[in-house]
Amino acid sequence: MKFIVEGITKCAPRLGVLKEIERHPNITLETPMAMLYTRGGSIPHITNEVFKLITTKSQIIQIPLVSTYNFEDVMTHYNGTIAEFVGMKECISCMTVQDPGDYTQPGHHVQDLIPLWTRHGKVLLNAKLYMILVELFKPDMYYFLSDGDTNIASPTKRVNKAVQNTVKYYKECIEIHKNSKILKNSFAMGVIAGGYNLKARKDCMDVVCKIDSIGGYLIDGLHNNGPEVEFLCAEEIKPVVEYIVENLHHTKLKAIHGCWNPVTILQLIKLGIDLFDTSYCHIVTERSCALTFSLDLSNTEEAFELNLRQSQFADDFRPILPGCACLTCVKYSRGYIHHLVTVQELLGPLLLTIHNVHHYTKFFETIRECIRNDTLRILEETITKQFNLYQNGVKEKRDEDEELNSTEVVRDEVNRTNEDNVQIPLVPTC
Amino acid sequence: MSTKRSPLIFNVLAECATSKARTGKMILPHGEVNTPVFMPVGTQGTLKGLLTEQLEKLDLQIMLSNTYHLGIKPGVEVLKKAGGLHKFMNWNRCLLTDSGGFQMVSLLKLAEITEDGVKFESLNDQKSEIVLTPEHSIEIQNTIGADIIMQLDDVVKTTSPDNARIEEAMFRTTRWLDRCLMAHKRNDDQNIFPIVQGTLNKELRTASAKAHMERDVRGFAIGGLSGGESKDDFWRMVHLSTNILPKNKPRYLMGVGFAVDLVVCCALGVDMFDCVFPTRTARFGCALVMTGQLNLKQKTYKLDLNPIDKECDCSTCQTYTRAYLHQIATIHPVSCHLLTVHNVAFQLRLMKNIRDNIVANTYPQFVQNFMYNLYPNQNYPTWVVDSLAAVNIKLLSI
Ligand SMILES: [Zn+2]
Ligand SMILES: [Zn+2]
Repeated sequence: MKFIVEGITKCAPRLGVLKEIERHPNITLETPMAMLYTRGGSIPHITNEVFKLITTKSQIIQIPLVSTYNFEDVMTHYNGTIAEFVGMKECISCMTVQDPGDYTQPGHHVQDLIPLWTRHGKVLLNAKLYMILVELFKPDMYYFLSDGDTNIASPTKRVNKAVQNTVKYYKECIEIHKNSKILKNSFAMGVIAGGYNLKARKDCMDVVCKIDSIGGYLIDGLHNNGPEVEFLCAEEIKPVVEYIVENLHHTKLKAIHGCWNPVTILQLIKLGIDLFDTSYCHIVTERSCALTFSLDLSNTEEAFELNLRQSQFADDFRPILPGCACLTCVKYSRGYIHHLVTVQELLGPLLLTIHNVHHYTKFFETIRECIRNDTLRILEETITKQFNLYQNGVKEKRDEDEELNSTEVVRDEVNRTNEDNVQIPLVPTC
Repeated sequence: MSTKRSPLIFNVLAECATSKARTGKMILPHGEVNTPVFMPVGTQGTLKGLLTEQLEKLDLQIMLSNTYHLGIKPGVEVLKKAGGLHKFMNWNRCLLTDSGGFQMVSLLKLAEITEDGVKFESLNDQKSEIVLTPEHSIEIQNTIGADIIMQLDDVVKTTSPDNARIEEAMFRTTRWLDRCLMAHKRNDDQNIFPIVQGTLNKELRTASAKAHMERDVRGFAIGGLSGGESKDDFWRMVHLSTNILPKNKPRYLMGVGFAVDLVVCCALGVDMFDCVFPTRTARFGCALVMTGQLNLKQKTYKLDLNPIDKECDCSTCQTYTRAYLHQIATIHPVSCHLLTVHNVAFQLRLMKNIRDNIVANTYPQFVQNFMYNLYPNQNYPTWVVDSLAAVNIKLLSI
């Protein structure tokens, strides 16, 4: 696999392509892009049959090890790749350690081992154990093992330990990768850890960025994943991301994961980040919402997001977003989706996922077009304006609710437990 | 008005020369239905996480929805504004709705039945009493707009020992049928099916069937069975009912959907079935196969790289292994969608096999092979042997 980037200005929005992918020689992917978030190997709610109904475009699926760790035994018996095993052979797979859509419990480190919180409890990983799994999964792309357990509040000691671990894993992983026949066609990416401490980031980069054969880097350790990432402020992450990008070679693919809101995504793209994921769509779907922010530079009428639980949609038979070409908007109404989410039918989040992922993919298409036409600033203004209006609305509602002494605030919905803890609803006896 | 096509045209295309099995075509306002047919249950205006596009790909021709649930949510007003359930849920093929009565009696412990209707305390609002009358049930069903709708019936458990109550319920069901027919406002594009009641009492069931046959209706349901009675009693009542009911109208046996029951009851001359089982069992990680069901959560499937069923051409079996389904079953909603697709495909394939064998006049052999595969030691249940013998099919003993 090769990454080729246009333009040489650092810390600027840029266009690129991923191509010559060994298992998919005919596929070319354009960046900036978002890979498809999966849990347990499947895009939440989307089977392969539905996936083929909604898209014909090539995509990368993100396979977090934390939700697929239990496949280890069967993968030792299975000859195929992880993408084939999860029924998504038409996709390019990218293996990550943690799940961007789910909060990663901090701490619990044991010496230089990384805790992985699987469904069946804690598993401790080192580079060797991790690379065994990578060889079993045979992904098209993967990141080296890293210690990303830092955030803006992490003490220096934790940050330094994270760098120390990540550097150690890097050295071990690259050795194994170089000698692995199985992984000779996998695109390996290095990881830069070190929280918000520029000195620590530099220490990490001094080792990790020395070898030119590494095609790309993940900027890890900015947060602990999960829905909270949506509320992280772009201003807070900007200095550290800018510093890293300044010091990375411009030809390298640069990835950042997490449920960033679209406004923050645009800031990261302006800093030259190429690769993201769709975990944001997942958390929006989980709160029964649909993304409707405007992708049309001349139209700022749409709301940023619709909450389909609201009773105002009960008899609203318009599509979620008029003009949207997704299967949900073409065939199904707001009223029907409102009904499905209020009676907790599985089709509700399925229809929302189809729209949200479609809209988010369109968002990245628009971004690329705007970079090409040099209109990214207009897109940024449009979306930021809608986002701020929406945020103020949410805030006002929260204040009102607090005044009414109600505990049911929007934040609570956002923090709803992840789907793993939600039992599949049962129909009453018929 | 009189030149308008009947909203139900039923033609028997082939009859088994040995048993009472028959295959036919039912033409309804929203399309054709090949019988015998199994109708999966989409309780709340959705079939368990499947897109209607997927249902069409499975070649599903008709599904069932529940009036009781739809009446509560989204409610009559929304359905009216939406222009009926077909439009609301984006399903252009046939629908059947139940009357809502049975679900009230089984879901609401406090339901009380009077001559007026089924009375119950509303769970949502301040404790108000609501009565579901035959007129009200039909009004809701007229709004939902299904191709086939059900009369409100007075349901008594088949295991009830109270003969006076059974008799009362049977006669009341016929009185309610008349009220339903009176209240029906869409006789041109919706078909009311009466329900034959009478629990396990031969005389009452006969009387019920005969009384309903005097009404101007286009098909019949056999109700009040599949509620905990013994299989010996069950098949005799089905046999008795199909013996009485006219041959030129479809017969719908309510709440039946296990493969064995379908094979036997088709031999007894039933044309339509429904059951929540195939879709419900999917949510517990179970997949239907000709020999029963696989619980994919079991450790035996952990390394099993086969599809659920090699013979099945559903999208799940074409793409996924048992081992992967084992990993995600009951954990991720996707697993429920995958198993539902397979289970619905399984039911539809079974029914197609049944129809094809009736056409080829090989239904008795089909039944023999089916039962032999299911019971390779030939330890056939007595009720299966007896019911099939009653229609001249003798099971294999090798
Ligand atoms: Zn849409
Ligand atoms: Zn199948």
